[in-house]
Amino acid sequence: MAITRRSFMKYCGLAAGALGLDSTGLGLLQKALANPLAPSVIWLQGAACAGCSVSLLNRISDAGPATVTEVLTGAINLVYHTTLMTPAGDPAVAELRRVYENGSYVLVLEGGVPTAAGGATCIAHSLHGEETTFQQAVQEMTARALATVCVGTCSSFGGIPASGSNPTSVVGVSQLTGRPTINISGCPANPDWVVWAVVQLLTGTPVDLDSDGRPTALYGTNLAGAVAPATLHDKCPRNRDVNPNAPTAATSFDNCNGRCLLDLGCRGPVVKSRCDGCWNIKAADPTDPPSERWRNWCVGANAPCQGCVEKTFPGPQSFFEFYEG
Amino acid sequence: MPVIVASIDPVTRIEGHLKVNIEVDAVGGVQQITNVQTVGTLFRGFEKLLEGRDSRDAPIITSRICGVCPTSHAMAAALALDAQAGVNPPTAGRILRNLVHGACFLESHILHFYLLSLPDFIQGPGMPPWTPGWEMDKRVDSTAQDKFLAHYLEAIVLRRRCHEIGALFGGKLPHTPTFIGGGVTAVPAADKIAAFQAGLSEILAFIADRYIPDAERLASLYNDYFLIGRGYGNLLAYGAFELDNAGATKLFGSGRVVNGAGSVQPMAATAITENVTHAWYSDAYNNLNPASGETAMQTPKAGAYSWLKAPRYSGAPYEVGPLARMWVAGDYRNGVSVMDRIRARAYEALKIARAMQSWAAELTPDASTYSTWAAPANATTQGLTEAPRGALGHWTRAAAGRIGQYQIITPTCWNISPRDSAEQLGPLEKALMGTPVADANQPVEVLRVIHSVDPCLDCATHVMKARRRAV
Repeated sequence: MAITRRSFMKYCGLAAGALGLDSTGLGLLQKALANPLAPSVIWLQGAACAGCSVSLLNRISDAGPATVTEVLTGAINLVYHTTLMTPAGDPAVAELRRVYENGSYVLVLEGGVPTAAGGATCIAHSLHGEETTFQQAVQEMTARALATVCVGTCSSFGGIPASGSNPTSVVGVSQLTGRPTINISGCPANPDWVVWAVVQLLTGTPVDLDSDGRPTALYGTNLAGAVAPATLHDKCPRNRDVNPNAPTAATSFDNCNGRCLLDLGCRGPVVKSRCDGCWNIKAADPTDPPSERWRNWCVGANAPCQGCVEKTFPGPQSFFEFYEG
Repeated sequence: MPVIVASIDPVTRIEGHLKVNIEVDAVGGVQQITNVQTVGTLFRGFEKLLEGRDSRDAPIITSRICGVCPTSHAMAAALALDAQAGVNPPTAGRILRNLVHGACFLESHILHFYLLSLPDFIQGPGMPPWTPGWEMDKRVDSTAQDKFLAHYLEAIVLRRRCHEIGALFGGKLPHTPTFIGGGVTAVPAADKIAAFQAGLSEILAFIADRYIPDAERLASLYNDYFLIGRGYGNLLAYGAFELDNAGATKLFGSGRVVNGAGSVQPMAATAITENVTHAWYSDAYNNLNPASGETAMQTPKAGAYSWLKAPRYSGAPYEVGPLARMWVAGDYRNGVSVMDRIRARAYEALKIARAMQSWAAELTPDASTYSTWAAPANATTQGLTEAPRGALGHWTRAAAGRIGQYQIITPTCWNISPRDSAEQLGPLEKALMGTPVADANQPVEVLRVIHSVDPCLDCATHVMKARRRAV
């Protein structure tokens, strides 16, 4: 396991575009990572499905340190993540408490915060037999964190566990605490966006946020000459305003291949994200044949966008009817 | 010597929130577990939040029950929708469902062996998140240690590759949006079939050349674990991976094995009930089949210690998972234990990957993947399939195209159920009883038994309320 901070830097150099780093940013990152006192990262899961953690594991680069493990070992001092860590029970929680008492950590939160029954429907952990609810953990740990990153739509806005009758009164983190968070929404969150956010924090780079607490660099990019951030529909190759050669819009799933999916429920016109072609990418040499360059996204597989990065997700309306917004 | 009482909370390297309470005492000169309770600590109420939604949304919403087996939930929900509509997907739709679902099985099995289970046996790197680990009972020499760690890193790339090929027809993973009643939205373009096959070959080679030899290496180093964690030996499978469009034949069939012996018995979903005697639900709705199940909370309740209901088959507890599937299919019948579960899971990955190769070769480029349907006004249907960690069922009643009622029994509910009214332990509880514990402060044996059933508490829907720290 000869993985070093230097090899992580090499990776960041190779992936600077994906990370949104220019040479100044790279220099800052190098400086931050050279500091042995670089902040620890604590990752807590609440009313979650672990999907954002699984998505993080899909972090890719085929050059240099390739995987999330290398990001973790080379760049981030991840002291607590229940899906990945070896320790269990009291020793794990004692370490968590130690880092908390010291302060100066980056807090990553996955999952909504249930508030029904005093938070009792989600127990985060126990220490010496005493249970801590996720609600208590979020209140406490956000107070001393250098910054809080909400990974996924549940911790950002409540998401699916807060939908319908909201049986356990789930809320998003900032709604609970009133404290600012950096929201990397998505169901799941895209791993590149999550790493981007953590890198900004480690380099001390200010992050400009939209009104929903999301980085504008990820969720609010204007197309050239446009006055408002582009929606997915504004960029969609199936939109005939974008691509005059696109076929006519689909009216049924038995004839939807390559066609605009608005009438089948696509929420693209209200969604601001950079989802187009950025999911489960197989990084490959650009000279590889097209079959070796995989860039997936929901619409690319003829599935209507469900708007999972938006505060309105999932909402009461069916995913398969024209979206009224 | 006094009985040692301990809790492990959180149990880590699982999906979701699990707490285990154990009592350890010396019996016949061997320190071992003499009492145990397994407890999930998260309740989100998916069954309730689905009520009133458009029936077609079920695959999308239920996927979010679990980030590790979302495709299995999408599959179960889509099968229930197929039944509601009275349609079967066309051949290419059936195959694409199986390919995306199969890719997620391979992802989950590789993730489980290397990332979740292996750290119980080998020493990880001396840094977080692998520290502070327990240093008990490590039997791997430095050569084997280096090999395991190198393969751990390869496994991360290969499990990622599983999601990449799955997303070719699944759009994105986890949480594919392409599974719909009547088939899938994706179509099998020729270049995507080729890409899928190329990636699958890479994954198949990893399973054959790394995963299986590593599982066998572990089995020979820890061969005492063929005698630990047996449990009841009752095995149950619903079956999965339809081989014809009507689903009459499957790669894994349905069936039951009683006490690890005898011929495979038939499985009928009507014999499944959920017992709530030791769960915080009203006994007025005890022992109901999920098709007519009710979820009526009652807390406090004397004798209850969990929000997990206890599924039973004709009143008996059953273990579900790769070992159950492989036993029922006749592919693995060595025994029931920690190490048999680990080996059966590895050989199942190989079997599925090889089947996926032949399914991909059957695809006709650009063939239709969807059968048109309209929601019937009222229907009560079920969708039975398998998740990587065992039998998964969705039962639903639709009224006027909307979800009237939804009941889900996940594999982890089967495996990690509490006691029932006959005081029968849940399957994992039973498997933990009698497990030797050399050092109660480092109960690594407990983690090995727990991890062998690959718990996914995100799928189990209920929670225990116990002592809470004062704010």
